[in-house]
Parts: sequence; structure tokens; C-alpha cells
Amino acid sequence: MFAIVEEPIDVGALVSGAYRPDCGAVATFVGTTRVDESGEARVEHLEYEAYRPMADKKLAEIGAGIRNRWDVRYVAIVHRVGRVDPGEPSVAIVVAAPRRGPAFEASRHAIERIKEIVPIWKREVWSDGYIWVGSQVGTRGAIRTT
Amino acid sequence: MEKITVRLFGAAADRAGTREVELASETTTLDELWSKLADRHPELSPMRPTLAFAVNDEYAGGDARVEPGDEVAVLPPVSGG
Repeated sequence: MFAIVEEPIDVGALVSGAYRPDCGAVATFVGTTRVDESGEARVEHLEYEAYRPMADKKLAEIGAGIRNRWDVRYVAIVHRVGRVDPGEPSVAIVVAAPRRGPAFEASRHAIERIKEIVPIWKREVWSDGYIWVGSQVGTRGAIRTT
Repeated sequence: MEKITVRLFGAAADRAGTREVELASETTTLDELWSKLADRHPELSPMRPTLAFAVNDEYAGGDARVEPGDEVAVLPPVSGG
């Protein structure tokens, strides 16, 4: 199951939806929005945008790649777009496999590939301006370079 | 003549001040289309080394063919997750 959603991700439902009698392992990765601080300024929230349907297609490709490479029986990836407040899930990956090794490896692979090929962008909205992560384009006076 | 639709995302949309541009063109290449886009939105030019492109929802290189009616996307470094 691959989805890009505007509402909060129900991680619990996603995980319990992965339980299967032929699997002994369900690995879950949840990416949450982190508040960075810089001097007096801090991140107030994040905003994500996606190029659809290409982003949907790339999520499904990652899922198909995982199933070709590891013995996994179920893969779900849900990425949120729009405004996401600090500490909330922005992405959730759930992999069910007969054995824990492939489940861990596949979930790690999924998040790394998401950060490489899925056309989704994150804008940090700070108390003193905003910045597009990765492009370092924005309105903050002191643009971070790391 | 059918146009080529260029969609801009993230920092590229921010820089250009628009999310969509229509360019009149015969069949061309991505590199040539980029030149037209950069003529119209010179503020995009400094971003060029960081950008990737897609034609009809798939990543494509500079020599990729682009036809009228196609959708081209200008993709800054992705930052999902």
C-alpha cells in the first residue's frame, strides 16, 4: 500500500494492518518532524509538497524493488504532505517478512530511497523566515549551509 | 500548436514565482527547453546544477526528447522523509 496523504498518519493502524500468519517480523520506520534551533530562531512547522502522480509512482517502484530483492510479503509506505507540526509523523514505512533480517533491511532501504528519488520537498517555516531544505533557498536572513 | 507544460516545484517554484509555465515549442530536447525557460525566468539559472528533470512523470536527462503536449517537471533536490 502506497499513499500520499494530507491528514495525520495513523501509524498504529498501518502496523496492525501488516500482521500476517506467514510473517514473523514487522519492521516499522516512522520519520517525524524535528524542531531545529539556531540562535533565537526555531522551526515552527514544516510543509511538504509532492509532484503527483510521479511521487506515487516512485513509492510503488520502491515497494516493487524491495519485493524483488528481499523475501518480504507486505510493504506499506505513507508520506504526508501539507503542513506537519513538530514531532508528528511525516512518513511511515511498514514491512512484514517471514524473518526479521529482511524486514529491517527493507525498511531501511525504503527510507533511503525515498530521500533519493521520490519527488517530495520540505520547507522549514522558522520564526524568522522559511527555507527549502536541500536547496537552501528561502527568506531567512542567515541561511544555514548544512 | 500544442504547448509544452513545465511544472515547477519547491525552491524552483519559489524562485520563479510561478508553479507552471507553458512554452510554445516544436519537438525539442530538455536542454533546449531549459534555455527557453531560463530566458523567461533568469532567476532559475543559478539553480541549474542542482536540478533534475522529469518528462511525463519519469526522470530524464538533458538530451531527452520533449514533444508538444508533454509535461516537463523541474525538480530541485528532493527532501522528503
